[in-house]
Amino acid sequence: MAETVAEQETKVAIEAPWNVVVHNDPVNLMSYVTMVFQKVFGYSKEKAQRHMLEVHYNGRSIVWTGIRERAELYVQQLHGYLLLATLEKSD
Amino acid sequence: MLIHRLNEDSIGFTDIEPIEADLLRQIPTLCDVSGDSRAASRLFSNPADSSEAQFLADWDEYVRPELRHVFVSARETVEKDLAAMEERPGHPSNLVILCAHGEAWLNTLNQVRIILANKFEFSDEELSLHEVPRSFSRRDLVLLQINFYAAIQERIIDALEGDEGME
Repeated sequence: MAETVAEQETKVAIEAPWNVVVHNDPVNLMSYVTMVFQKVFGYSKEKAQRHMLEVHYNGRSIVWTGIRERAELYVQQLHGYLLLATLEKSD
Repeated sequence: MLIHRLNEDSIGFTDIEPIEADLLRQIPTLCDVSGDSRAASRLFSNPADSSEAQFLADWDEYVRPELRHVFVSARETVEKDLAAMEERPGHPSNLVILCAHGEAWLNTLNQVRIILANKFEFSDEELSLHEVPRSFSRRDLVLLQINFYAAIQERIIDALEGDEGME
């Protein structure tokens, strides 16, 4: 059965890569942010620190990119740790 | 106060001075954001921009209550741990918490610091300062309190990672 245009657009939107972005926040400690990245994404301490420093110096870091459903789950987990995290469509 | 890893399962807070014990006991009550919309909007920040209207609506309906449960549950864990603090009037106290409660402590201390920072409208620059204030207004003391809780968070993270605690 042929897909409608609307169905195709929805499918494309869901399948397109999505970014999980963490924003700088003066309250969250650098060591805490590093620990959270390790716990949520399973990153090594070095990789988690790289993202933490990117947040600290650039104001934001794309910490993960992939399918929307998983990105939403990661954003939810990061909010549970009180990090400022958002979901954004990848360019 | 010394915060250090006691064994595989627990973290000790030893030689807690009375003023430190007072600040610790304040933690659960400081987590109340009722009537403080600035703090509440930071605790429950938006997960996307306004172009994601349906996602934001679903988030409000399904995720926000779960987050509230996470925050309240963490606070209750800390409250129960604090109730078990060994206290002798006029003497330092001791407290032992399970490493499994470490995340609840970090979460609750973050809640408190976010709430105080928003309530007293501290700027990013002020929160990054670690200088001794020239005066001791209530606001200056609250900033010291925020930094005291930050220091506890650092020591808990050290203890969870297995490092020795520091005074």
